[in-house]
Amino acid sequence: MSVEMMMQSCLMDRSSSFFKLIDTFSTEISELKQEMVQPAREPETEILQGLEGEVSGLFLQSSACAGVPGVRDSGYDSLRRRMSMLDRLMQTHSVWLLLSLSDDEARHILQPQPAGSFVVRRCYKLQKKVISLRMDSDTLIVRDFPVKESQYTFSLEGSGISFADLFRLVAFCCISRDVLPFTLKLPEAIASAKTPTDLEEVAKLGKGFWDSELCNKNKSSVSGETACDGSKQRLKRSPAVPFTRTPSELECSQSNGALCFINPLFLQTHQSNPSPKKQEPSPGDEGGGSQHHHRALHRTGQQQGDSSVFCRKTPSKPHISVSRSESERSPPPRPPPPRFGSSRSAVLRKQKTMPETVCWIKTPQEKTSLLGRLGSSFISLSPSSSPPKKFSKPILVPSARNKNSSGLLDADGIRCHMALDDQTIEDAVSWSLAKLSSRNPTAMENGSPAHEHCSTGRERLSDISISTSSSDSLDFSHSFPLPMEASPSKTDRPTGDSSQEEEEDDGINLESDQEVPSPFKSKKQNSAGTFVLPRALRGQLRKMSDVLNSLMTPERRAIRKIVEQSRDKGTYFGCLVQDYVSFLQENRGCHTSGLELLQTLRQFMTQMKSYLLQSSELDPPIESLIPEDQIDQVMEKAMHKCVLKPLKPVIEAALRDFQLSSGTMQQLKENLLLAKAKQPQEMGVDGARPPDPVAIEKIRHKFNNMCKMYSPEKKVSLLLSVCKLIYTIMENNSGRMYGADDFLPMLTYVMAQCDMPELDTEIQYMMELLDPSLLHGEGGYYLTSAYGAMSLIKNFQEDQAARELSSETRNTLHQWHRRRTTQRTTPSVDDFQNYLRVALQDASSGCTAKTLQVQPYATTEDVCQICADKFKISDPENYALFLLTEETTQQLTLDTHPQKIKAELHSRPQPQIFYFVYRQIQNFPVLSEQLDDNTSAN
Amino acid sequence: MAIRELKVCLLGDTGVGKSSIVCRFVQDHFDHNISPTIGASFLTKTVPSGNELHKFLIWDTAGQERFHSLAPMYYRGSAAAVIVYDITKLDSFQTLKKWVKELKEHGPEDIVVAIAGNKNDLGDIREVPTKEAKEFAESIAAIFMETSARNAVNIEELFQKISRQIPPLENTDADSHDSFKLTRQPPPATKRCC
Repeated sequence: MSVEMMMQSCLMDRSSSFFKLIDTFSTEISELKQEMVQPAREPETEILQGLEGEVSGLFLQSSACAGVPGVRDSGYDSLRRRMSMLDRLMQTHSVWLLLSLSDDEARHILQPQPAGSFVVRRCYKLQKKVISLRMDSDTLIVRDFPVKESQYTFSLEGSGISFADLFRLVAFCCISRDVLPFTLKLPEAIASAKTPTDLEEVAKLGKGFWDSELCNKNKSSVSGETACDGSKQRLKRSPAVPFTRTPSELECSQSNGALCFINPLFLQTHQSNPSPKKQEPSPGDEGGGSQHHHRALHRTGQQQGDSSVFCRKTPSKPHISVSRSESERSPPPRPPPPRFGSSRSAVLRKQKTMPETVCWIKTPQEKTSLLGRLGSSFISLSPSSSPPKKFSKPILVPSARNKNSSGLLDADGIRCHMALDDQTIEDAVSWSLAKLSSRNPTAMENGSPAHEHCSTGRERLSDISISTSSSDSLDFSHSFPLPMEASPSKTDRPTGDSSQEEEEDDGINLESDQEVPSPFKSKKQNSAGTFVLPRALRGQLRKMSDVLNSLMTPERRAIRKIVEQSRDKGTYFGCLVQDYVSFLQENRGCHTSGLELLQTLRQFMTQMKSYLLQSSELDPPIESLIPEDQIDQVMEKAMHKCVLKPLKPVIEAALRDFQLSSGTMQQLKENLLLAKAKQPQEMGVDGARPPDPVAIEKIRHKFNNMCKMYSPEKKVSLLLSVCKLIYTIMENNSGRMYGADDFLPMLTYVMAQCDMPELDTEIQYMMELLDPSLLHGEGGYYLTSAYGAMSLIKNFQEDQAARELSSETRNTLHQWHRRRTTQRTTPSVDDFQNYLRVALQDASSGCTAKTLQVQPYATTEDVCQICADKFKISDPENYALFLLTEETTQQLTLDTHPQKIKAELHSRPQPQIFYFVYRQIQNFPVLSEQLDDNTSAN
Repeated sequence: MAIRELKVCLLGDTGVGKSSIVCRFVQDHFDHNISPTIGASFLTKTVPSGNELHKFLIWDTAGQERFHSLAPMYYRGSAAAVIVYDITKLDSFQTLKKWVKELKEHGPEDIVVAIAGNKNDLGDIREVPTKEAKEFAESIAAIFMETSARNAVNIEELFQKISRQIPPLENTDADSHDSFKLTRQPPPATKRCC
């Protein structure tokens, strides 16, 4: 990265609205931090001892020895590396993350604790996670602060700051109270633990920690609070003295709240620099502490590029930290020194030439920047901060030719190992690279300078991840042409694993398929859209895309974790998966049909998902990493990866064997041959001109790609792209729109032309293995169409007009439809237990309901007989079974199947309430209120 | 109260009512977070036992009956196995004996075995005398109960008995007060309480 460019971009961007909120935030937080003291250190040596200094700065020191110089034990430094606030939280989640805790239990636990103590639990009443916080009053002992989970983020309700996972949210709240009355306070035993072993011991106690001596002992020692009151002050702000305003008091309105992706590494930094000793301000210190934060930001390894964006002030010599007694406006504590003095300081010195930011925040404050603490943060502004709209210049152009930065880059690379978020960032980078490369294929080609960057890991999210949504990307590519151009250098930096793996995993490069949006892709975009922003705001929020991209990574992280665990036979889950995989590899013969094989597989994956959710095998629990409504999706992807991926060849071979042995393959091939020779009109195509051979070839290619995927989800998205292509061709060829009626014959024709018998098993694979919940949209529709088309081909006969689906096909489709729709509402036990709830309506006694066991194929006649029996009706010939809905009552004929009727009613898109009523044939109307009391809807 | 996770797997012949037992047991504690799957083969229920809560993680091997060789997957890590037979089908009792044998040979050493003679509401067509089954159970030191999933007879009790047979956590209280000297690993299944 060219330093000149960096400075330039800083210069250009300094007026951007974006920084306004950042500065506001930083001021807020720095105020919060004022009572925190910094370790004494000589400014000069600080730079030279960059590594040591930074390391020590990053980690929370034991409050017991806070501020007492020389209390470090040797070898302690290395341990402290792994003891950041986030680490402390993550290692001890068994103590404070008690999702199943009830209101009472939470109160019981927190009551004896000091104000600020907290647990995170799932509130049954709210059906949400809450932070239960010990208040400082005796009347309201515990207050619950709900956690809002939107797609991919966690935030406190009422706060505008969102986090990628729960740990980061809590870590942040330990530092900044945000919307809370005061900051969260970790139990002393956790906050002051010196080694991971200490934490382990705490963690082992789990919930029992709160009753343990370990907890109480430390508590009392703290309340003793004379020797190290300073440290206590740091950990627990006096709630009576609110120093900060909440974000809502800032200029960001809550509805458009700011979004913040915070690297708690740096939050941590300032809380944990315990030194009461003041330092003299260095002469070059112009603007308070912000420079330091900028520098801290620089240390976020991969985030380098980004950080430079934020550097719009000259760095200066470290500023002193201030004790709490100093004025509120005093700058925040000094950040730790850079680790790699030489290269780092060179850059920093150059940055000195950068001009000061013009501050146009309403309440001008010192440029104490949050950024240092935010590290890899991205902050978006709410529109109310009304920033200027122009972003005429690129933020920063990472210059490929700038080779002299490589030393620095290496340093960053190393540093990155320390950063808690390095993987996240890396993921974000690679993810966005993938995004970008797909959007900008030409970028892939001019790659040579890129490689230099590849190795360094210096990508800057702001440059490379233009946006997650296509509409945005257009805007961005216009307003930021240079980043776009620069980004190619990143595109082929695959970061080895994540994004590329994702594609390689599936056997093909998706690039060629990007022209057609996939159903699930669009889903992703929607999910990104949860951060609903006014359109007008988008241009201003160019960092937003970074946020979104970064926020994608917890998902990937979680998937990776599950997949790793599935390979570890030391865990129960790993055993199950590995045993199952090898079982299937060795015993595929035990299945009687392909359908059964696939259904068993599907069931296994569903089982594993619920096992992981219900057991404690995932540590930390996935609920803390992934918002609740995303968990299933994430799990599903993980299952595909750890079950389907290794089994794909086995499944394919087995399906083929079944096809061969049953003779369907032979028939299919013959029919395909037959069908291929047909004219479109003979296949039912009416009017629309079919695709030409070139287009057919292209479709074949897409189908081939589809076959290579192991993920049913991806397969469906490719199938959808084929269908859309066919639609497009139909429309382009004739200039008019076509509906579904024209489409199915055309799809049949195209599939016949493609002459790919393997499509049959492909469709089966998708239909049986796709998570039913993923089938509600277009994907499900086109999958059904493809199934229908394939079944037309399979049953194709010369004398047949080939326009009707066979009854068998209908039946299968119907079953399948039912399967994928029953889960829409949570089924009750009778949905899958062959129960039918029937009410007896009787002139004398009103309604009484009974649950009867009714087999799926039992007729109404059978059910009537059961009813007569169960209700002890003496004259059953006068009774019949009726179906009641809100508007209608109809008597069921004896040869109908009540269970099928029920299933059909359940599978309707808008399920209505219905009842089965057994009553006399000439009878009075039933009041449905009456029924409500006695029978629950089936 | 500490929560312990107990993996329980249900074994037994086809049609003896394993799934029904699980459903009966779990049904009145419906966790709304779960979307039960067709086949309902993994379910959980938490019950108090002494001063602990026991969370049963129940593997219902129903779907896998033909896949005998899959069963070890499930019972291998289990704390308890419920082997179910149908009192109206002598064959199912023979199958039960095979399962007992297999568990002895391949199952975890300390697995708690419970034998459930299901469908005792159909006593009039009984083929397996209670006495015989009971004696067999005693001979292998297994829990024995005749149950009826249909009439909710002895289902809760069955699981309660299993709970009681699970050895309590060693000196939990002592441990938690022994604050700094905690080096003993709690059983792996008990780390988390939800």
